Amino acid sequence: MIISRTQKFIDGAKKAVPITLGYIPMGIGYAAIAINAGMSPLETISMSFLVYAGAGQIIAASMVLTGATAMTIILTNFVVNLRYFVMSTCVLNQVEESNTPLNILAAHVTVDESFAMFSLSEDSSIWIYLGIAITAWLSWCLGAGIGVVLLDLLPVIVTNSFNISLYALFVAILTPAVKENRQIALIVLITAILNIVLSQFLGNWSLIVSTLVGAGIGMYIVDDEYLLGSDD
Amino acid sequence: MDYIMLVILGCAVVTFIPRLIPALFIDKLDFPPKVEKFLNLIPYTALAALICPGVLTVDNHLWYIGLIGAVVAAGLAWKKVPLGAIVILTVIILIGVYSFVSFF
Repeated sequence: MIISRTQKFIDGAKKAVPITLGYIPMGIGYAAIAINAGMSPLETISMSFLVYAGAGQIIAASMVLTGATAMTIILTNFVVNLRYFVMSTCVLNQVEESNTPLNILAAHVTVDESFAMFSLSEDSSIWIYLGIAITAWLSWCLGAGIGVVLLDLLPVIVTNSFNISLYALFVAILTPAVKENRQIALIVLITAILNIVLSQFLGNWSLIVSTLVGAGIGMYIVDDEYLLGSDD
Repeated sequence: MDYIMLVILGCAVVTFIPRLIPALFIDKLDFPPKVEKFLNLIPYTALAALICPGVLTVDNHLWYIGLIGAVVAAGLAWKKVPLGAIVILTVIILIGVYSFVSFF
């Protein structure tokens, strides 16, 4: 039993390798912004450990740089990271062999990438999820650590290019489903257009509104049997 | 409290709460099939919304940089290149694009 849990955790960690390839450079990019905003190396790394929210942290560090009040920054982070409620619900609804303490740990390490990677996994064990998500979390902190050390050595062209890595991962995860299923492709297109339009009016709220409205429209477009995670 | 410590701890709390609530209550919930279907659609719509229009702001001055990156990544994924290789190749190609753009 213990061996199979360890094995599943390791299997999950292997699935996280593409995420770490995005997170380490992205973490370096975040560290560049945080240090530039006047945060100390320890503060920069502990934010990655405690907050663990890619876009949220980068927005927070940028706002520290512009001298926004703590309350404004915290409120913005709440809105930007509210999507984790939806992702945490999806993940915890899917996991098997879990209990409340493990669910709480799983909740803290739920981000876009761990959630997306797990939703593709055939095995829904909590240990697979923790393997994916904890590996990703630690690589994000490692990236910030490398960033505060290496910052001055990297040319701007390289740190700018790192910004694409998470989007490359998102696109790469989504492409196979879009390629194989026209209904999914349609709902992806609708949601993308919806978010482009709504982001003009709703700002930071647009992401979560588009995600939910897009899925709501999908209820009427996508046939049940095409969905991932529906094992029946 | 120090301004930056307040920002870090405040952001940590408001980010953790939305993640935590499902962990405390998920055992008591048995979702009907329609809600399950809705939840199963979320990964696709969340990824779509994360990519568009955010990918166009990868570089604040050159919107097409992100677009090039997204097209490259989609092309590689279409050809079934492994995920890790897609991330590395896309970054390398963008470094090439930047070098090309800054040359002129």
